[in-house]
Amino acid sequence: MRFETMTEAIGNTPLVRIDPAVHGLRNIDLYAKMELLNPFGSLKDRAAWNMARPLLTQAVERGDTVVELSSGNTAKALAVIAGMHGLTFKSVTNRMKVAEIKDLLLLLGAEIDELPGQAECLDPTDTDDPLTRMYHRLAGSGGGYLHTDQYFNELNVDAHLNGTGPEIVKDLDGRAPDYFIACIGTAGSSTGVAAALRQHNPDVRVVGLVAHKSDFIPGIRTIDEVHEVGLFDPDVYDTVETITADDAIDGLLTLVRRCGTLAGPTGGGAYQGAVRHLRAVDAQLAERRSAVFIVCDRVESYLSYLRERRPELFGRAPRRNSLRTVTDAEVGQAATVDVAEAQRWITERRGLVVDLRSPFAYQALHIDGSINIVDELFAELLHGGLPFGRRQPVLLVCPVGEKSARYAALLTRMGHPDVRSLDGGIIAWRDAGAELVRD
Amino acid sequence: MPLHLSPRIGPELRSALAETVLLAQLSDALGSPLGVVLPQQLTGNVVAFRSVFSAHRLSGQIYYAHKANRSNALVRELAATDAGIDVASLAELQHALGAGFVPQRIVATGPKNQEFLWLAARTGVIVSADSVAELAALAALVRDRSLPRVRVMARLSGFTSAGVQLNSRRSRFGVSVAAASEVLDVIEKHADALDLVGVAFHLDTIGLPEKVVALEGCLGVLDECRRRGLRPWSVDIGGGFGVDYLADGAQWEQYTSALTEAVLGRRAPLTWNGHGYGLRAENGHVRGSLNLYPAHRPISGPAYLDRLLRTTAPEQRRPLGTLLLDNMYDLHVEPGRALLDQCGLVLASVLEVREDANGDTIVRLDCNARDVSLEEHGVLMDPVVVHRTTPAGPGPAGAYLFGNLCLEADLITRRKVFLPSLPRIGDLLAFVNTAGYLMDFSATQALRQPIGRKVALYRDDGAWRWCLDEQYWPVHHPVEAP
Ligand SMILES: Cc1ncc(COP(=O)(O)O)c(C=O)c1O
Ligand SMILES: Cc1ncc(COP(=O)(O)O)c(C=O)c1O
Repeated sequence: MRFETMTEAIGNTPLVRIDPAVHGLRNIDLYAKMELLNPFGSLKDRAAWNMARPLLTQAVERGDTVVELSSGNTAKALAVIAGMHGLTFKSVTNRMKVAEIKDLLLLLGAEIDELPGQAECLDPTDTDDPLTRMYHRLAGSGGGYLHTDQYFNELNVDAHLNGTGPEIVKDLDGRAPDYFIACIGTAGSSTGVAAALRQHNPDVRVVGLVAHKSDFIPGIRTIDEVHEVGLFDPDVYDTVETITADDAIDGLLTLVRRCGTLAGPTGGGAYQGAVRHLRAVDAQLAERRSAVFIVCDRVESYLSYLRERRPELFGRAPRRNSLRTVTDAEVGQAATVDVAEAQRWITERRGLVVDLRSPFAYQALHIDGSINIVDELFAELLHGGLPFGRRQPVLLVCPVGEKSARYAALLTRMGHPDVRSLDGGIIAWRDAGAELVRD
Repeated sequence: MPLHLSPRIGPELRSALAETVLLAQLSDALGSPLGVVLPQQLTGNVVAFRSVFSAHRLSGQIYYAHKANRSNALVRELAATDAGIDVASLAELQHALGAGFVPQRIVATGPKNQEFLWLAARTGVIVSADSVAELAALAALVRDRSLPRVRVMARLSGFTSAGVQLNSRRSRFGVSVAAASEVLDVIEKHADALDLVGVAFHLDTIGLPEKVVALEGCLGVLDECRRRGLRPWSVDIGGGFGVDYLADGAQWEQYTSALTEAVLGRRAPLTWNGHGYGLRAENGHVRGSLNLYPAHRPISGPAYLDRLLRTTAPEQRRPLGTLLLDNMYDLHVEPGRALLDQCGLVLASVLEVREDANGDTIVRLDCNARDVSLEEHGVLMDPVVVHRTTPAGPGPAGAYLFGNLCLEADLITRRKVFLPSLPRIGDLLAFVNTAGYLMDFSATQALRQPIGRKVALYRDDGAWRWCLDEQYWPVHHPVEAP
């Protein structure tokens, strides 16, 4: 395969059979459409390219900014495409909740505009949805934008009607699958693929998946939100079912651990939703059937999402000299000094004063002669052992004397014979009228 | 299926509601509507906020935003705790002083006239200034009238974030952070009259990310103060901690889903004249946004504050609570709604129960939509029926609640509420947990209808007792000399 540009690598993704030993369906062949293998990382590469391509020449001439209401994959693809054509891309969003995706977009050179949260005191005149607000903004700006408008743009559907759908049919030797299962974001992919499949077999059963209402699954909508989507037509789906974030993660784990498929949460959700729906059907079947679901994107962008919901997946072995292992009894035995004594200790230059507060706070005001090692860094150092000699007397300082006492206890346990904590911390120091300096 | 939105009712409020005879007597004697406040609930609410402060080892004050309720009893009870008060008008300041708050426990916020500024400066309360002009006027007043140096906070707004552009609604109040140096210039220029004790913000949003940016922005301005040799030691982050109004989140989800379907015409209307609460249908799709208070807010009040303090500041990359502590700053908060959680209810008597031509049940109440301003504030929560005898019919009964004004729009609820049982004429509807903004914030005398009276309901030696709101003081029986 030799290409002139990366956009030529969009599409023609493999259709891969999921091992029956994994899904346990006896009469159904389950296939995954591997959209995660698109060059910019997701299914949305197809829609982004299909929507932007016809407008690019003009946009380049005018130097327009590409804009889209997107918090993820469409934004990512458009940012890359804009960059390839020397244009800037701006993503407008009120739901950018995944840190890695935000960072990735910034890395790609995108601008991100986050819309304000709901007012605490109701403003009855404020009834605009994010999309309407964005339209107002674009209208008010007097041009200069290429707005791909993914929630309403038929070219989003066409990308799948002419691409994703026919590819599936071709890979199934010219036959449509009996079942097609997909998550709904803009509804572009499910609508387009469903139409393409039904051209071959009007009886294809189409299952749309949306997020459970109180859940957040990045990239797809909840049962209420889906009604806001311009491309969404309930008649496309034989049934619309909900999946929870837990379902999505369970499915993701199956795909990444057992199927060689590094799928993101919606791929996992589609797998889980597919197996749940098909299991009920499977029992009644007398002949073989086939089903296809979509793996939209990759797992790597969702590590923080997973870490937040399943911290146990990231469990690491405990590290030595960890502050968490210090007992209250040890803290009780740690040496402390009050402000007056600390003042004497410091004037007589008896040892090292370590201020554990943040660098900004330290730089703003600190005890003269102290050095700053912020507690996180100090904790990190201690995992490796004592960062100063045993003959070096130390006075630890923190805001209220609590953290410093814990560290004093830990250092004592680590064998340091001469460490103490400032009782009441730097707040007591200030309240006693003792001197604070800045450089 | 009835779509209930059952209110979250704590044990004290529940016990008060069980006093049906007392409630009926009060309503008969004092008229409808009747505001009932439970001042003693405040103590626990203050303690809950305090415990978040202590968990983060932070010092600072909890200033009750007086504007949330006009009650005397609530303010006087609060004076008996260690909380402070945020006053936003001359009359609120007079009220707070008279209720027993010493000036050290009072902060004056909001737009101020000359008289308000004078009384604030004269008594020595903290003045949270909205603009450079206000600071200049205050300094002139102090000098002109030979008043003592006034402690001031500078209210800021227009915070900006790096990287992601986080948009906030434009605010009428506060000085843009970009112009913070002008504030500091004025304070330095009038150092003899103004003593800067901190910076402040109040953002009208439920969005945590915006508050995170604002709080970190304040730290930046305080840093600038330190560079200049000023020594303010506090940040006031305003109010807006919210209340969880509903007992069951699933009901809220069911209701809002059903509303979406009703707007799309997929089910019978749930509202008067198909009102969509901000949603509308266009070509089979929903447009607009649900313009309602998020009545189901599991993370609200003290928990919301805790969440904010645990959030990592985007630039300094340490939790905000830790940063405040590192810098030795006090944290001040101004909760209104959240501090009044479970502190009151409004009683309204039923004037009429009928079925209209469409088959809808109408319950007409002797109060108007300004007396129980659930609709104005977008809070959807069912009332509790207080029967005098037996229900008029088995429940649940779907009904629209009409007010007593000769005005088409005077609906206490624009949605059909599902009452657990049908009331009779003379029965009472209790709108619970309405002390914060929903009781008297908007009450007017339109059509010469009276503004509801208010009583305080309190426990003394375990028993429920009551008095007129203005008669209430937090001492319930004479202490005898030993
Ligand atoms: C991760 C993810 N999964 C699934 C989808 C759904 O695709 P569509 O927008 O075509 O409905 C999206 C769309 O944004 C997505 O980002
Ligand atoms: C300056 C200020 N502080 C505090 C509050 C109280 O807000 P809440 O009742 O939402 O806590 C308000 C409300 O308008 C306010 O304007």
